[in-house]
Amino acid sequence: MIVEGQVHGGIVQGVGQALMEAAVYDKSTGQLTSGSYMDYTMPRADTVPSFKLGYKVTPCPHNPLGVKGCGEAGAIASPAAVMNAVHDALGPIGVKHVEMPATPLNVWQSIQGTHRAAAA
Amino acid sequence: MYDFAYHRPKSLADAVNMLKGKPEARAMSGGMTLIPTLKQRLAKPSDVVDLAGIKELAGIKVEGNNVTIGGMTKHADVATSADVKSNIPALAYLAGHIGDPQVRNRGTMGGSVANNDPAADYPAAVVALNATVTTNTRKVPADSFFKGLFETALGEGELITSISFPKAEKAAYMKFPNPASRYAMVGVFVAKTAGGVRVAVTGAGPSVFRVKAMEDALAKNFSSAAIKDIKIPADGLNSDIHGSAEYRAHLVGVMARRAVDAANK
Ligand SMILES: Cc1cc2nc3c(=O)[nH]c(=O)nc-3n(C[C@H](O)[C@H](O)[C@H](O)COP(=O)(O)OP(=O)(O)OC[C@H]3O[C@@H](n4cnc5c(N)ncnc54)[C@H](O)[C@@H]3O)c2cc1C
Repeated sequence: MIVEGQVHGGIVQGVGQALMEAAVYDKSTGQLTSGSYMDYTMPRADTVPSFKLGYKVTPCPHNPLGVKGCGEAGAIASPAAVMNAVHDALGPIGVKHVEMPATPLNVWQSIQGTHRAAAA
Repeated sequence: MYDFAYHRPKSLADAVNMLKGKPEARAMSGGMTLIPTLKQRLAKPSDVVDLAGIKELAGIKVEGNNVTIGGMTKHADVATSADVKSNIPALAYLAGHIGDPQVRNRGTMGGSVANNDPAADYPAAVVALNATVTTNTRKVPADSFFKGLFETALGEGELITSISFPKAEKAAYMKFPNPASRYAMVGVFVAKTAGGVRVAVTGAGPSVFRVKAMEDALAKNFSSAAIKDIKIPADGLNSDIHGSAEYRAHLVGVMARRAVDAANK
């Protein structure tokens, strides 16, 4: 239960990093413009579906109990997985790069870039 | 927060009297906007007049062709009202998509419309349905109520008592929510009534506005195909970290087409 919960949380944290969370500063004043949750987009319960987890259990060779931490496991793979999925989806229309986080604005701007290039 | 005197009147007449002659006094409905501004010391009212105890300001009535909603009616009550759902389902849908459950159970129609936040949802419904805003002194038609960024036709100490929405033949609201706050980044309310077709846009500009070109095209042919080539100029639209003016202009077209399709369902 605890392990599953940690992995669920880790996955969502990674999804947030890939699609939503950004500390944005105003270029002229240095003011943090995503300074509250009215602008800083945290993933929430309705952002993601529930997950079914699969395990590959390997004991750690460096301690007598064979135990290891798992809290960050979900957070490490999920940003890469999500960004690969975004690029896979947009590749067929010519998009080569989307900035993280892949917010609706960033995705649209990337698509516009290719549309403009295609029109030229 | 700075110090202020707190009042909780039981009648509209008492509330109006408490606000009279005090330019620094503020009415409070749900407090969802007012209290955060007090907490951040962005406002320093002399008096806060809490309208929550005034029974005559809350409630929903169907009278002839109109649904009349009291100023103190909470978003959650509009969203779940059988009368609103059966007469103007698009309005119930809109109310049910404001913020989150906590906000919907505190925030009120009067407070939202009086505040005229550029990203608030209700102004789009008020303008598209050609509603009438009733205050303690007069009735104001939708088109002359919203004046600009956080600006309305309300005078000092004037209170919204109710808003009356004519029923629509067809209507729908489509919103692209700000991913963080859930306010409207762009929201488009499309309504076809006996008076014609209206398209009202919130979130995109400094205040709600109508799109005449779409209204004319939809009056001839009420289908999303009729507006697919209409482009909204990005000049003067809002721009922030979630959406550039160009992106908002694009979203107005997308949300308007989706709203027409939803209204035709
Ligand atoms: C996290 C969050 C998310 C939100 N998301 C959305 C959203 O998605 N869409 C949306 O539309 N809104 C959103 N809101 C705003 C919310 O819906 C409230 O409607 C709004 O804050 C104002 O309503 P209120 O009743 O809380 O007004 P208050 O905060 O009590 O008052 C606001 C202002 O209006 C004045 N006022 C209040 N009542 C009256 C009256 N009857 N007559 C005249 N003046 C009056 C007050 O003096 C004050 O200046 C959100 C708010 C929060 C905090």
